Amino acid sequence: MSTLLAATSGDVTKAGKAIGLALGVGLGALGAGVGIGNIFGSMIQSVARQPELRGELQGIQWLGFALTEAVVFYGLLGSILAYVLV
Amino acid sequence: MRRLFVALTLLALALPAPAFARGDFDPTTEFEQHEWVSIHIGGLNLSITKAVVYLMIGTVITILLGILLMRSRLALLPDRRQTVGEAIYEVTQTAIAEQGLPSKAIGRWFPYVASLALFIWVVNVLGFIPLPLTGETWHGIPTWGIYAATSSLSVTLALALLTFVFTHFEGIRWNGPVRYFKSWIPEAPKALLFLIVPLEILGQFMRLISLSVRLFANMLAGHILILTFIGLMFILESVVLAIVTVPVATAFYLFEVVIVVTIQAFIFAALSAIYIGSAIEPEH
Repeated sequence: MSTLLAATSGDVTKAGKAIGLALGVGLGALGAGVGIGNIFGSMIQSVARQPELRGELQGIQWLGFALTEAVVFYGLLGSILAYVLV
Repeated sequence: MRRLFVALTLLALALPAPAFARGDFDPTTEFEQHEWVSIHIGGLNLSITKAVVYLMIGTVITILLGILLMRSRLALLPDRRQTVGEAIYEVTQTAIAEQGLPSKAIGRWFPYVASLALFIWVVNVLGFIPLPLTGETWHGIPTWGIYAATSSLSVTLALALLTFVFTHFEGIRWNGPVRYFKSWIPEAPKALLFLIVPLEILGQFMRLISLSVRLFANMLAGHILILTFIGLMFILESVVLAIVTVPVATAFYLFEVVIVVTIQAFIFAALSAIYIGSAIEPEH
C-alpha cells in the first residue's frame, strides 16, 4: 500500500487531466472511425452496383464524411476544455 | 532499407542533441492573439490582431478572384482563366445551392452561399501558406509561419451567426412568423410534445455550435498536428528526429491542403444552403 501511495505522490491532477484528454479524443476517434468506414464502404458498394450514379453519390459521400469526422473534434474540444479549465 | 530506417529512428530517439536546446516548445502559443493595432470603442475591443489581418488578406483575394475570374474580359470561347471561374460557378451552383435551396430562392441566396464557399476556401488555403505574419522576429527579420483565421472560434462563430440569422429571417419572411414557428413543432402524440419541442428549439441552437465548431476544430487540429510533429524535435531536443517528423508533418500538411480545406468550405456552404432552404420550405 505504501508503495502505491508513493507512486501517486506526483502531480495527480495533471495525470488525471491527461488521461481525460486522451480518453476524450480516443473515444471520439473510435466512433468517427467506425462511421467513416461505414460511409466509404457503402459508397464502394453502391458504385460497384450502379457505377453511373458515382457523380451524384460523391456529393452525399463527402457531406456524410465531414459530418461524421466532426465528431472527433467535438470530443477533442470537450477534452481540451476539460484539460484547460479544470 | 527498412532496417536502416528503423536504426536511424532509434538513433534519433537516443541522441539528445544539445544544439537544439530550446526545450520549452508549446504549440498552443502559436494561436495566441496579440493586439497589433489597438482600437477600443466603448467596451468593444476592435483591435487588429493576426486573425484580422489574415481575414483582410482573405477578403481582398476573394474579391480579386471574383473580379479576375468571372467579371473581366469575358469571351464566348473561354480561355483557361475563364474556365476556372466557370468551374467554380458550376460547382457552387449544382453541388451547393441546388442541393439545399428551393428554386424560388436560388436567385436571392446563391450569391451568399457561393461567396461563403469561396471566402472560407481562400481563408483556409491562406492558412497553409507560410507568411511573414507570425509577429515574431529573428534578428530583426520577421519569421514566417502558418496560421489560419478560421482556426479562431470568433471567426467561424461570426460566419455561423450570419447563416443562423438569415435562416430565421427567411423562414419568417416566406412563411410568416406563426406558420414558421409552428413548423418547429413536429407531428407527435400530444403527451410527448413537452419533451420534443424543447429539443427542437435546442436543436436550432445546436446547429450554430456544430456549424462553427466543425470548421474551427478542423483547422485548429490540422495546425496543431503539423506544429506538434515539427515541435517534437524541440520537445525531445534532437535534430536527427527530423528524419521522421518532417515527412509525417508533410503528409499531414498535404492531407489538410488537398482534402480538408476544400471539404470544410464545401460543407459550411452546403449546410448553410440546406438550413436556409429548410426554413423557406419547412414542410420538406
